[in-house]
Amino acid sequence: MQSTHIQASRDAGHRLRFWARDNLFSSRPNTTLTVATIATLGLVAYFLVQQDFFDLDFSVVEVNRRLLFVGRYPQSEEWRLWPPLWFAFILGGFSFGLWARLSRRDVLWLGAAIVFILALLAHGENGGLFGGAAAAAALAYGMGRWVRRDHRSRSRAAKLAALGWAVLIPFTVLIIVAFGGVKPALWGGLMLNVMLATIGIAVGLPLGILLALARASSLPALKGVATAIIEITRGGPLIAWLFIARFVLPEFLPDALNTDVIVNALVIVSLFTGAYVAEIVRGGLQSIPPGQIEAAHAVGLGTVNTTVFIVLPQALRAVIPALVSQIISLWKDTTLFSILNFTDALGGAQAAIAQADFIGRQKEVLLFIALAFWSVAFAMSRLSQRLERALGIGVR
Amino acid sequence: MNATDDGTVIIQCEQVEKWFGDFQALKGITTSVVEGEVVVIFGPSGSGKSTFIRTINRLEEHDAGRIIVDGVELNDDLRNLERVRSEVGMVFQQFNLFPHLSVLRNVALGPQKVRHMSRPKAEALANELLERVGIPEQADKFPSQLSGGQQQRVAIARALAMRPKIMLFDEPTSALDPEMIKEVLDVMRELAQSGMTMLVITHEMGFAREVADRFLFFDEGEIVEEGTPEHFLPTREKSAPSASSRRSSSERVPGDNPLHTGSDSKSGKSVRHRVRLEALRFARRPSRSPSASRAGGCPRAGVRRRSNFGQIRRT
Repeated sequence: MQSTHIQASRDAGHRLRFWARDNLFSSRPNTTLTVATIATLGLVAYFLVQQDFFDLDFSVVEVNRRLLFVGRYPQSEEWRLWPPLWFAFILGGFSFGLWARLSRRDVLWLGAAIVFILALLAHGENGGLFGGAAAAAALAYGMGRWVRRDHRSRSRAAKLAALGWAVLIPFTVLIIVAFGGVKPALWGGLMLNVMLATIGIAVGLPLGILLALARASSLPALKGVATAIIEITRGGPLIAWLFIARFVLPEFLPDALNTDVIVNALVIVSLFTGAYVAEIVRGGLQSIPPGQIEAAHAVGLGTVNTTVFIVLPQALRAVIPALVSQIISLWKDTTLFSILNFTDALGGAQAAIAQADFIGRQKEVLLFIALAFWSVAFAMSRLSQRLERALGIGVR
Repeated sequence: MNATDDGTVIIQCEQVEKWFGDFQALKGITTSVVEGEVVVIFGPSGSGKSTFIRTINRLEEHDAGRIIVDGVELNDDLRNLERVRSEVGMVFQQFNLFPHLSVLRNVALGPQKVRHMSRPKAEALANELLERVGIPEQADKFPSQLSGGQQQRVAIARALAMRPKIMLFDEPTSALDPEMIKEVLDVMRELAQSGMTMLVITHEMGFAREVADRFLFFDEGEIVEEGTPEHFLPTREKSAPSASSRRSSSERVPGDNPLHTGSDSKSGKSVRHRVRLEALRFARRPSRSPSASRAGGCPRAGVRRRSNFGQIRRT
């Protein structure tokens, strides 16, 4: 009896049968659910096949990859994009290695999506540069993993990575814009979405924290102004605010401030994000027990020190899931710019679909865009989960 | 700073009052504490004892009267506030450690940010203090990983890290399991013996009698009793303390008035009164029962008890 069990467990088919019995057909409700699920999946697959869903031809993406990736960005200035891209890839890989750990399943999905995207984008002359960046990112990931074995080098590496993130956006904007570079109005494609989202977060997050602190303050004037900003901004849909940035603001702003529509829109996006972040952070602030503040005061810490070292770290930690959710939401909301006739990723997609050569190829383009957005959102979600767990040590 | 026969006055309170809305929590507290004195505060819950010690580092702002701590009057001046707070340490019932910081960082943060000590120096000090409270091996853990007794000892170390002149203890052992109370009391005892000025709210009678130079008994926002330990509590026979207190309760003398105040409290230390625990209970009774408080003793209190809160409490 014992020996047959061992033999059976060695046999793959038997193992599968045991697994299926234990996991899929262990009870009558379980069996019912399994059958129902398989039937539904089968139906969906049948329907998709019948509608020729899997009849995919990604040549539309390949041909239009410039449009999808950088929009109307001038080809002669393309060299400016590579240093920031490499920088971001390496930093991203290193940070993931240092802080996050991807499960094998995560790597599989994320890796497949990224390889697919790069395979379509990185054709021809740019293939080497893209491939190099990806390889550098993988190398940096390994380095991050290696560095974090040791407590001391880990904290040093963490400081380095934090510095890198702080420098990344100014560096990128400087390289692209400075010395006769490309005006934001000419940015486009996925690059525009990435820039809008990162700048929106980089400005919106601190702004939101300040607004939350102001709203929680006991000074009536400060509190009133913060509350007004938050409620007015949050009260309107983002798309309405973007229309105002695009069509109304330019009429009113003095010429000195009125340099670029994208800049106007960026201000609006940052403010909008800030308003939502403020309310999330306010929730976190309210979760701090008054005893914490009393203890900080009793030690002699003043209001500023108490806020910076005691209240905010705990409050932000408590709201990481909601904050990341807001960041992901902003990342996807950047596609609203396509409605304002910007050639962001979705705008580029619409332009590509409209081409006579590719009539009826919406599916491929939209699938590609969806995958690109999903892989970024998924990576952020995983990073936040790891962050929660890593920071969770100190939580009561 | 006043110098008296007994030593230098470090805390002086004159007619301190505190209101929470319509409820008066402190009804004119006047007392002073000299350097190195250990004052233990008793009282039923809601009697204002906690509010009182919280006014001393201005976690509660008093509404009337004066509080002078180490020569600095507590008022709206923020510089005074910071000076006083960095010289008055406080230990809370619920520990209130910072959960996001390691034990070491909990202790080192104050000296680093308020005293502007360098990080290595502050952490060296923290390690030294953790050793003093008996848990040097827990330095790298987080508060949630420690037992209640260990957490409270970290809280004491955190307060001591500011090198305070005065330590306030707000029921430091009330949230602890019985087996952990001793380890915290041991640290406090050691601290008292080292000459620290301490104000302690506690229900640990044995500990109180051992370390206290003076007792304050609070009820309904007033100091209703003040005296030395020998005055309040039966002297313990060496062998069986509980038996002795039981014995003393059977031989209570109702007419004995335990109310002694101020001047003789210090000298009273040497005179060994034998006052029974029952006398203490007797002393508490008038202030708690409405008829007695109205009838006599303290007319001022009788007038003030017309507040809503007082009436609710009496029913």
